[in-house]
Amino acid sequence: MNCERCQELISDFVDGALSPEDSAILNLHFEECLDCADVRNDLESVVSFCRGNRGQYDAVPNERALWLRIRNTLEATGSAAGSIDSVPERRGGFLSRLLNRSWQLSLPQLAGSVTAIALIVSLTTVVGLRRMESPKPPMPESVGFNPDRMSSQQQTISYWNTRIATNKERWSPQMRDTFDRNLNVIDQAVNDSLQELNKNPHDEVSEEMLNAALNEKIALLKEFSEL
Amino acid sequence: MKTRLFGTYFNQSRTRPLPVLIALALGLAGVASVGAQQHVSKRYPAGKNVRLQLKNIQGTIIVESWERDEIKVAATMESPSAHFSPIQLKDGLSIDVMGDNRGRGDVGDVNFKIQVPVNTSVDVETRRGDIHVSNIRGGSVRARVSSEGDIDLTGISASQVIASNTTGNIFFDGEFARGGNYEFNSGKGNINIRIPGESAFRLVAATQSKRIELGHFWNKSFVSLGGGRKYVGDVGDGRASVTVTNLSGSISFIRR
Repeated sequence: MNCERCQELISDFVDGALSPEDSAILNLHFEECLDCADVRNDLESVVSFCRGNRGQYDAVPNERALWLRIRNTLEATGSAAGSIDSVPERRGGFLSRLLNRSWQLSLPQLAGSVTAIALIVSLTTVVGLRRMESPKPPMPESVGFNPDRMSSQQQTISYWNTRIATNKERWSPQMRDTFDRNLNVIDQAVNDSLQELNKNPHDEVSEEMLNAALNEKIALLKEFSEL
Repeated sequence: MKTRLFGTYFNQSRTRPLPVLIALALGLAGVASVGAQQHVSKRYPAGKNVRLQLKNIQGTIIVESWERDEIKVAATMESPSAHFSPIQLKDGLSIDVMGDNRGRGDVGDVNFKIQVPVNTSVDVETRRGDIHVSNIRGGSVRARVSSEGDIDLTGISASQVIASNTTGNIFFDGEFARGGNYEFNSGKGNINIRIPGESAFRLVAATQSKRIELGHFWNKSFVSLGGGRKYVGDVGDGRASVTVTNLSGSISFIRR
């Protein structure tokens, strides 16, 4: 028996509607858990008062103190959740409390919940579809000069340069001249972009051109290494 | 009599020996040159929508459409050691001069003239030499010159076009299809794009030289970046995507 189950049954216990076995189990729990015993005492006080004063709705003696005690007891049971039986539940935390909770809903509550879920799902779907359809804003391709990326491209260039060096002797003189001329064209573009970037490290156009030139150099080296 | 005849001939030859020797040398050289060049021509059956792949080393490539449902490959090879074996694909033809001549050393220029059905996807590349593709309405056209060579793409209507070289001009005369992708890249050369006035596309054009001429297609939606080195903007509804990058040459748009 845990405190939550106890509090579910406590009203029937006070009314004397429980089976003797359940009443015995509950009494056993009251001996172990003073908080639940207090709740029982408070409820018995309220019920006995109501029975004694049926039809008269005067305020109970020291009403404020009574409500404070009820509130304190509920808060205490909520945080402590029993002393012995509730240890695994405390370990489970929110999820276990959620799973152990009784989800008895009335028909209007159920209908309201279904409507709310349907509304949330519809809104999520509409928003998701709109996001997919609308063109994404252009992302800046670069924010400032990125030497790391250039370093990676330089490593690739070094690799293909090595391949070229071993193959170049097999080429005709005409092909070697063509290759060297075009490599110079690209190297010139690389140097121009680097100079611009030295002047203005946040020049995105120069960084794009540098990137394009390095990629073009890699393509040239790779394609000529196949010869 | 015979002696006299020979003597006469000999005497005449002796009177002008140099021109005769030059003419003889040139004639022999021409015969030798014709003998060294190989000319190959072959036709391959093809459907209406086919694919042509060509990977050349050096030489001019001409691809043009014709009325027939077949591919005709005509090639002139400078070196007798050069050869290639076209491979018929399920949907077209593949020629790999590079692969077919690996380990043979310098095989010189191999010049191609290829005629294809109009709805052919063309993918041609060479390490050096010009590429001309005309009157093609296939799915895609790709022309790549690794180093030096002009690229002329005329009468092109394809949903994807890629043209790139390092040194040389690129000229595109065609149409941009709705939703198509078009890329033109050069290292040093002029890129000229001639399209109908009502073309609609999104343009990203960049060159370090700042020489970008949008002409008829310029409008207020264009944003200039980097002091005129890059323009980004929409022409019409901007449904085609056009990217033009030139490391040091000019970019021009011309209304057809």
